[in-house]
Amino acid sequence: MNAAVISASSLTTSLLRYGRSRALWLMLLVAPLGARYMLPFEDGGGVRIAVGDALPVMTSPFLGVSLGIIVSTLVLPIAWLFLRSNTTRRQPWQVEEVTIGSRVAIALGRFGADALVLLGVLAALNVAGLYLATFMLRGDALNIAELSFAMWVVAGPAVIGVAALRILFDARPLLRSGFGDFGYFCTWMGSLIAPIVTSKSAPSFASNMHDFAGFVRPLTYGAPGPADDFSIGGGFLATGTINLDVMAGLMSPGYLESRLAWIGVALALVVVAGLIYAPHKAKKKAVLAGRLGALLNAGPPPRVVVNAPAAKRAMADAIGLVVSEFRLISSGRVFLILAAAVAVMSAFTDFRHAASPAALLLLLFALSAHAGRSEARGLVALTKVAPFAPMMRRVAFVIAGALWTTLLALPAAAPAVALDVLPLAAASGAIAATVAIVLSTLTGSSFAARLVLLVLWYGYASM
Amino acid sequence: MASLELKGVGKAYGRKRVLQDISLTFEPGLTLLVGPSGAGKSTLLRLIATAERPNKGSILWNGSGGRGALRKTLGYAPQAVDLPEDLTAREFAMHIAALKGLNLGQADKQFGAITDAIGLHADINNRIASFSGGMRRRLIFAQAMLGEPQLLALDEPTAELDGETARKLGALIVGRAKAGAIVVMTTHLADELAPSARAVLRVENGQVAPPVARAPESVT
Repeated sequence: MNAAVISASSLTTSLLRYGRSRALWLMLLVAPLGARYMLPFEDGGGVRIAVGDALPVMTSPFLGVSLGIIVSTLVLPIAWLFLRSNTTRRQPWQVEEVTIGSRVAIALGRFGADALVLLGVLAALNVAGLYLATFMLRGDALNIAELSFAMWVVAGPAVIGVAALRILFDARPLLRSGFGDFGYFCTWMGSLIAPIVTSKSAPSFASNMHDFAGFVRPLTYGAPGPADDFSIGGGFLATGTINLDVMAGLMSPGYLESRLAWIGVALALVVVAGLIYAPHKAKKKAVLAGRLGALLNAGPPPRVVVNAPAAKRAMADAIGLVVSEFRLISSGRVFLILAAAVAVMSAFTDFRHAASPAALLLLLFALSAHAGRSEARGLVALTKVAPFAPMMRRVAFVIAGALWTTLLALPAAAPAVALDVLPLAAASGAIAATVAIVLSTLTGSSFAARLVLLVLWYGYASM
Repeated sequence: MASLELKGVGKAYGRKRVLQDISLTFEPGLTLLVGPSGAGKSTLLRLIATAERPNKGSILWNGSGGRGALRKTLGYAPQAVDLPEDLTAREFAMHIAALKGLNLGQADKQFGAITDAIGLHADINNRIASFSGGMRRRLIFAQAMLGEPQLLALDEPTAELDGETARKLGALIVGRAKAGAIVVMTTHLADELAPSARAVLRVENGQVAPPVARAPESVT
């Protein structure tokens, strides 16, 4: 079969699916609205970019590059979530994988659709940037070409790269799971740290290739003085302003070439994804034998009570619901073994900076897994007709999450009767559970919850 | 005695009218819904199970239109459920029992008995991911039977099952109907279950034909 036909078919069917999903239209609506918050407010709010200790004077290219940098750094995890948890996450692999169609061709088609959708969102952001520029730039400073060029050069390769990573992470069984989300999180963190480490090197194609997000040269090359120190985000002090020649940075030696090269790398990743593609496995877990099996398997079923009477309503049915959620968060003996290890660890280490992050790292996977499975659309269709409404179950889930973190913190509180750790433990568990259940309810899966919790966890652990 | 009444019930999805002006009264016993694919049988069951609301008319449980009272005594087995693959069948059933507000210890024993009767007990501590289509179907049925449902809404519970297992399920269903529950189900085994049914209703083009006459005494 002609590979081009397969690619075209994969591209068009994926685009059709995107077009019929509400999430895409929501993204196209939210992106322009969000653009306002990607730029600095006059009162100091919004996301700010500072070079050294100074804020660059707002110009068309700086506005464009600001939008581009925010997309290529802070917004990329949202793009990942969108691709990974949206309409095309389910594919008919049972049928597809037994056809003779080229996996590379299918991967290229799907990558094309993902990339086009993200570039479409970028286009909406571009339009919003032009609109905002009419308010933020003085006089005739608006230069549509420079603003758009700056934004696309920085953000374009980054979103294309995320689209490629999505295809690559969909190629192998391990990467399709939560481990893949964790892998993406590490890759994203690496993409932010690597360019900072090499930012002092002379501008060249090789040094720019460390900068996937593309933010170093535009912020440093055109600065009036030596500037290898910059900040992106908020919460920092900036004194004064500087005139930053952003266009000089964009045209610096090797920068444009590196951005094009990143697009090439993305395409290569997609081809690799097609080549290393491994079929989905029927989810039949092998039963482990021996001592490990005895430890990890649930064991034989309990003895049958023939003609057991029908179960009656529980006296405290709400407590039963919390108990059920508590048990299901800890589904599997591996979790229980790790939880015991974390609890022991909390007795001997600094609670805030070691034991609490360890407990939350363990729980974020358990919470997002249970939230995702209980909010699966096809299961909610059944559970919503139960006497306990879905909202009650969600409340029970949050309570159970808080109970878990409190339980794991008990050894830390016990030796010195340090009761102050318990409120922190309970609050962190409740917040994590709330984030997990809200995102799982919105997306019907655990992907979004897991990645957002990982990002939040990183912030909590490094504070 | 429990009663379920549909008064002028209609359901449409956009412009497509799936059910039109249905008025029916269900009394304790087994009622079979038969008819061609796409006739509206599953939609009717979803409405009865409060999984969806009708666009028109009302559904009364023991004379009341509130959904809370009906849900407290409902057992619902839809045709397809997104079962949580990484849970064992027992964990899943206890999750449903908790949502039904049941005593979890008693529910665990009852689940053991039900699964024993339908040949699933040996696998209840295995993950659902390892289940075949027929095993999943039996699990969906078993969760519906937990507690003492006075209203059972079953959508093709015997699909994908071999004849022997289907008969075992049929026996439990008829037993529940004899115990005074209102059981409404669609099935491709209508011929086998019809002798035990109080009524067989034919759903066609969104309407319910008058009941195929079955003497109430046939419910024995």
